[in-house]
Amino acid sequence: MSELEYPNDLSYTPEHEWVRRAADGVVRVGITAFAQEALGDVVYVSLPKVGDALATGDACGEVESTKSVSDVYSPLAGEVTGVNDDLERTPELVNSDPYGQGWMFELRPSDPSDLDALLDATAYKNQLG
Amino acid sequence: MTDDALLRSPLHDRHVALGAKMADFGGWEMPIEYPGGGVVREHTAVRTGVGLFDVSHLGKARVSGPGAAEFVNRCLTNDLRRIGPGKAQYTLCCDENGGTVDDLIQYLHGDDDVFLIPNAANTATVVDLLKAAAPDGITVENLHDRYGVIAVQGRKSDEVLRTLGLPVDMEYMSFVQTQWRGRPVMVLRSGYTGERGYELVPAWDDAGPLWDALMEALEPYAGLPCGLGARDTLRTEMGYPLHGNDLSRSISPVMAGASWAVGWDKPEFWGRSAVTQQRAEKTGRLSRGLLATDRGIPRPHCPVTSADGAVVGEVTSGTFSPTLKQGIALALLDRSVAIGDEVVIDVRGRAVAATVTKPPFVAVGVRES
Repeated sequence: MSELEYPNDLSYTPEHEWVRRAADGVVRVGITAFAQEALGDVVYVSLPKVGDALATGDACGEVESTKSVSDVYSPLAGEVTGVNDDLERTPELVNSDPYGQGWMFELRPSDPSDLDALLDATAYKNQLG
Repeated sequence: MTDDALLRSPLHDRHVALGAKMADFGGWEMPIEYPGGGVVREHTAVRTGVGLFDVSHLGKARVSGPGAAEFVNRCLTNDLRRIGPGKAQYTLCCDENGGTVDDLIQYLHGDDDVFLIPNAANTATVVDLLKAAAPDGITVENLHDRYGVIAVQGRKSDEVLRTLGLPVDMEYMSFVQTQWRGRPVMVLRSGYTGERGYELVPAWDDAGPLWDALMEALEPYAGLPCGLGARDTLRTEMGYPLHGNDLSRSISPVMAGASWAVGWDKPEFWGRSAVTQQRAEKTGRLSRGLLATDRGIPRPHCPVTSADGAVVGEVTSGTFSPTLKQGIALALLDRSVAIGDEVVIDVRGRAVAATVTKPPFVAVGVRES
């Protein structure tokens, strides 16, 4: 089995999501290589709507494989500024490119310092065991 | 149940070596999917070429002695008199209330010898029921760990079996007791995928070498080892019931649409009066197909409502169809719901529109000669 990757420039949550700082104070959110591997073939993704106000830990979407379904949680409090519409037609991007084309949504955090509470790559890998 | 308590197939070490994801199926630790495959690719391999499944968790039992076939015919629903030696038949084991204890395949070797393949989790129950009912002279043996079962499924399965010198091209639901490398193996033309294919029953210790030879024979046809995840999407596309979901002690053969596997003319089988009464009353829910027209994947126990919001049933099996790229389901629905009706499936609070259909959901070649 190929070694799963956890890029050092991302932040992570214990719920197996990653957070990337993008331009203009916005962050991009997706699920980790571990999460997509555990789910298997992703066949359906439902996402929040642009403009949704989310609290940290809100279940704001679902990612579903042939076998199971998992909630997508908001890693931070903030407002949704964008969603990855490509996942409607090609949900398999979550498997093939979880940190790139398989991203899920973008959020403007209410308090950017909340980002500091997330895990770095080393801490995330450590909690995977 | 901890992993230590799970039973293991004779091919367990091979699955682990391939890096398969393993899970509990009826008390057995079996492969769900293999790396490099995944449910969708494995599913597609079977629909377009060939796939190999370890289904050694399935039960095996033998009923033997003078009048064994006649005895089995007094217990299980289907009519063994409809087939001759060398043929197999889908049948059901019911309780006295008409509930379904198990669905199984019965292989008729002769008047005095019937081989059974029940579901893994129900084997001990079926064997106990048969033992308790067996008259003197009839022996019922639980052979669960005496045989492996390997399914070769897909239009290229004949080529794969031919590579090993195994017999092919018999009629659907016919079997041959043959030898491979000097060891006995039973080859049945059957399966749970809807594709042309075979199920091989070698002795437990012969399953490993047979699997290895089949894996090698798959290669020229781009075949894949397939896990039980793909087996589930394949059988759901066909509308084949899964015991525990679409058949159970509270789901009778009549409700499940398995009346074709009941010998209604027989004077006796377990549950006969209850299922006969149900059949005459025409009141219980019936199993139907649901094809999701919205995006979304129905799952077991999702409520189904009519257009006006009344609850008319419940999903028993649901998944994503890799062939159609749509959600599909089997559901028990009120008799007021007709084929072609539009209904709504409540998928965790989200309304997913669906059309009521008669499975299968896909065109298939299982019976083609």
